[in-house]
Amino acid sequence: MYAYDTFDHAMVNARVEEFRDQVARRLSGELTEEEFRPLRLMNGLYLQLHAYMLRVAVPYGTLNSRQMRRLAHIARKYDKGYGHFTTRQNIQYNWPKLVDAPDILADLAEVEMHAIQTSGNCIRNVTTDQFAGAAHDEVADPRATAEIIRQWSTFHPEFSFLPRKFKIAITGAPKDRAAVKWHDIGLVLKKNETGELGVEVLVGGGMGRTPVIAKTIANFVPESEMLSYLEAILRVYNEQGRRDNKYKARIKILVEDTGTEEFKRLVEEEYEAIRAGFIDVPAEEVARIRQFFAPPPLPVLADEDAGLDALAAADFRFRAWVKNNTFAHKVPGHVSVTISLKPHGGIPGDATDAQMDLVADIAEEYSQDEVRVSHEQNLILPHVAKRDLVAIWQKLDAAGLGAANVGLLTDIIACPGLDYCSLANARSIPIAQAITNRFDDLKRLEDIGQLKIKISGCINSCGHHHAGHIGILGVDRKGEENYQLLLGGSGEEDASKAAILGPGFDEHGIVDAVEKVVTAYMGERKEGETFLAAYRRLGPDVFKEAVYGAR
Amino acid sequence: MAHVDLQTGEDVTVWRILEDGALPDEAGEWLVPLGRLKDEAGSLLEEKGVRIGALIETDTPHSDLAGIGNYASFAAIRFPGFGDGRGFSLAVRLRKDYGFNGDIRAIGHVIPDQAQFLLRAGFNTSEVPEERREAFVRAVNRYKHVYQSDTQGGISVLRQRHDQAGARRVS
Repeated sequence: MYAYDTFDHAMVNARVEEFRDQVARRLSGELTEEEFRPLRLMNGLYLQLHAYMLRVAVPYGTLNSRQMRRLAHIARKYDKGYGHFTTRQNIQYNWPKLVDAPDILADLAEVEMHAIQTSGNCIRNVTTDQFAGAAHDEVADPRATAEIIRQWSTFHPEFSFLPRKFKIAITGAPKDRAAVKWHDIGLVLKKNETGELGVEVLVGGGMGRTPVIAKTIANFVPESEMLSYLEAILRVYNEQGRRDNKYKARIKILVEDTGTEEFKRLVEEEYEAIRAGFIDVPAEEVARIRQFFAPPPLPVLADEDAGLDALAAADFRFRAWVKNNTFAHKVPGHVSVTISLKPHGGIPGDATDAQMDLVADIAEEYSQDEVRVSHEQNLILPHVAKRDLVAIWQKLDAAGLGAANVGLLTDIIACPGLDYCSLANARSIPIAQAITNRFDDLKRLEDIGQLKIKISGCINSCGHHHAGHIGILGVDRKGEENYQLLLGGSGEEDASKAAILGPGFDEHGIVDAVEKVVTAYMGERKEGETFLAAYRRLGPDVFKEAVYGAR
Repeated sequence: MAHVDLQTGEDVTVWRILEDGALPDEAGEWLVPLGRLKDEAGSLLEEKGVRIGALIETDTPHSDLAGIGNYASFAAIRFPGFGDGRGFSLAVRLRKDYGFNGDIRAIGHVIPDQAQFLLRAGFNTSEVPEERREAFVRAVNRYKHVYQSDTQGGISVLRQRHDQAGARRVS
């Protein structure tokens, strides 16, 4: 993974000092709260319901054991002993104190981490495929490209006060595990006929109150000119994005209002004017960054392992874990392991300091010192030898991290909701917990198969409900929490928007409704047909009838 | 309010604004709204000792800046609030697309923490509340390196890494 050089270190250290100065100026009254707010947001510090919240960047979801241990240390020292991994591949702390924030940033800077631009109307942390560099199906490792974008977007003099937040996601594989079509800019790495690396550029995706799936405006931009293309998009957006209404300020609205073709024309006009300029990165720097992401030296091993087979035959839970929580690796005899942060009845994405330390230890011993955070709020050990799976699982299981439910119904994405968030209208976490309590039988979950439930506690859709196979949206109805049920969303390359099925439910009714939807699917499905495929074939009526009775 | 040079923090001449069709009543630097300046380009000839600059609002489409060098020798971009990032793109466009070499000043609401961004986007002076002058100077000198090359000669570290022997970490 990328290692800071003296420039990078100088940059984050200066940032820590700058923020220390800003906090002091705020406390002395020299900065007004209105002026301080975007500055603290651009250092990841939110004011929430009960306390400040600090969102720490995990650039493109990649970190090493030392960094993971530091995250555990911060949870212990400045918080209540846990952290929350988010759908943006970051980690959030729910109980830091404002006066501690500069010290936390200093602790992070020591291990090449920061909270830069994790909030605010600027270019946010770039996200990518959690299996990048390990996935058997990838064209190129997207993390080198993401690192180039990270540097270009950090403290950009022109694009730090955009109309609204700006999120870029990139995938290096045809199978989209980064939900690129749901981002302000989505990038898909490709090679052209001469073998040159470039990106397909999609623009104007997003969730929130107006869900929109991004549209392709360039089929292939050479990587050597990618930053010029991004700069052109951002310039047009900065100039023309709406600033009069924050709900219409995202680029998706500009693209819709301008028209995709006209928007593309504006971007290409600017791109043509600047592409030969000074924005892009010299080839030797691209090569320098890329070498940090060279594949680790893994031995080619046998795909079979007697110890693994023996335990799988004897222990159903282990067998299920291997089946559900491992992903095919480029190198024979290896897999990527997903550590589920969705224990039965737990809070999706939460991990204690002890669990973080354990994951760091395991990664150091068994996974090339590397950990990933996925947008599904799980942790990944990217480079694991199959022969080590038994030992890894036993350690994880003993620490409450052995859930075998990755990709299944209880692998739920949920935002923090009204338990923490000042924007929320309804609680998300208790709904996730109630659903996992209702579906607590692993054999039943395996029978149901691939099913993504995503829960948001308000219309801002941090829980990605628009992209859920089953999406749940908490709203406020006359002072009561009310939950809408949406079906048929997808965050992958076949992206689709989930549709509201009918009237909403209270917190108990929504769990019943989910169960009725699942029962209807089980009754109607064909051999091997997933929930999403069945929904697309059948349409909503079967499910409406199951949930609301005959009409 | 002081008007200062962003790089040194030293005072520069204060520009006054000619609102509502007023005419300059004495020598000095005067700002005229861009629209009026274009309409009256011929009649606002600079009298003895009078110098005219363009007052640009942040909602100005950048295409309105075409030809600005013909009737303005300096320009001010007025920020209604410090979060209005359009002002930065206007300055970039003035330098990059319209070849404007005159002084570009940020007036209205900008904060010290934006000083380096202003400078790098093409501004060279700014309106600054007197009590914030020191904070502006601190901010402009805070970061010794930048991650983007810019129109003002800033060289991104992504280029510098290959121009400076020994600047890279030996791993």
